[in-house]
Amino acid sequence: MSWISSHESKHVIIQELPIIGNNFEQFYDSIWSISQLPATTLELCRLRLAQLHNSEVDWQQQHQPIDQQKRDALAHWDSSTVFTPAEKACIEFTELYAMDVAAISDQQADAVKQHHDDAGLVALIEALGVFNGMTRLSLLWQVSDTDPLNSGSETHGE
Amino acid sequence: MASKARVSPPKSSSGHIIRDSALGLVPETIDAYLALNESIWKQGPLSAAEVEMIRLRNARTVNCVFCKAVRYDIAKDAGLDEDTVQLIDEDYKNSTLSHRHKLLLEFTDLYLQDPRQLTDQLKTILLAEFSPQELIHASLAVVLFNTFSRCAVALGGMPDELPLMELSLPS
Repeated sequence: MSWISSHESKHVIIQELPIIGNNFEQFYDSIWSISQLPATTLELCRLRLAQLHNSEVDWQQQHQPIDQQKRDALAHWDSSTVFTPAEKACIEFTELYAMDVAAISDQQADAVKQHHDDAGLVALIEALGVFNGMTRLSLLWQVSDTDPLNSGSETHGE
Repeated sequence: MASKARVSPPKSSSGHIIRDSALGLVPETIDAYLALNESIWKQGPLSAAEVEMIRLRNARTVNCVFCKAVRYDIAKDAGLDEDTVQLIDEDYKNSTLSHRHKLLLEFTDLYLQDPRQLTDQLKTILLAEFSPQELIHASLAVVLFNTFSRCAVALGGMPDELPLMELSLPS
């Protein structure tokens, strides 16, 4: 049980503030509806953040189906051949975002834009903010339920 | 920090501070963002003054020059004055801020730095001062503010400093 609530799920805890909770979930859903980046790329970046934060709860969630081969290779994406150059640019950006957002270089931002244009870079940065937030909430609230927030249209983890 | 903006904002001008910014390049998220932002300020159990304290603590931690320069009128109207704002610095624990406000900043710092460092003792202290709903409100507020202050830093183009600006919430 989370210390902040009698519930185990972020989805249920957020709904303890119904108006804010509904708006938060709609914002979260909007991230998955963006057209500037493939949802599978967003999912790879979300999973990489979960790995970097060592959040098992977020790692076990599945918001978009990802090839098992890519899941297995994600920790060593740089030397793996299963990711596209566009995916690698976004994953590299994700790692820098997690470590020190102010340290991201123009070269790393340009690598994302080369594949996804200006709008894709903005979309990625917004999405990383939300994914980073969801992972930190898992750790701060100490939840154990792996249901993703938008579980109504989702498949679950392995 | 990148001094040059990494993206160009939308070419069309609507007169809306958010829609005309780089965020306007991702129109799918804007309405939901604005609705969430407004509800964080107006619909939760924490006062707008306390929400502003969370926002400014995050702004100073992330070092978002824009975020640090802004003061929201809704927080000022709720009683937050500039003298109190100036206490939200690295030495806030030794300041004259109230016990409640020091705890609120400590909770914000936990989120921003390492949520795993939350101790059983601090949980007990937090729950003695705040309701669970207030802590959920604080958590979601810092998620929102941190998302967009990091966004501003990652997109580049910020000056080294800006004068204080009093703003109303974007509608």
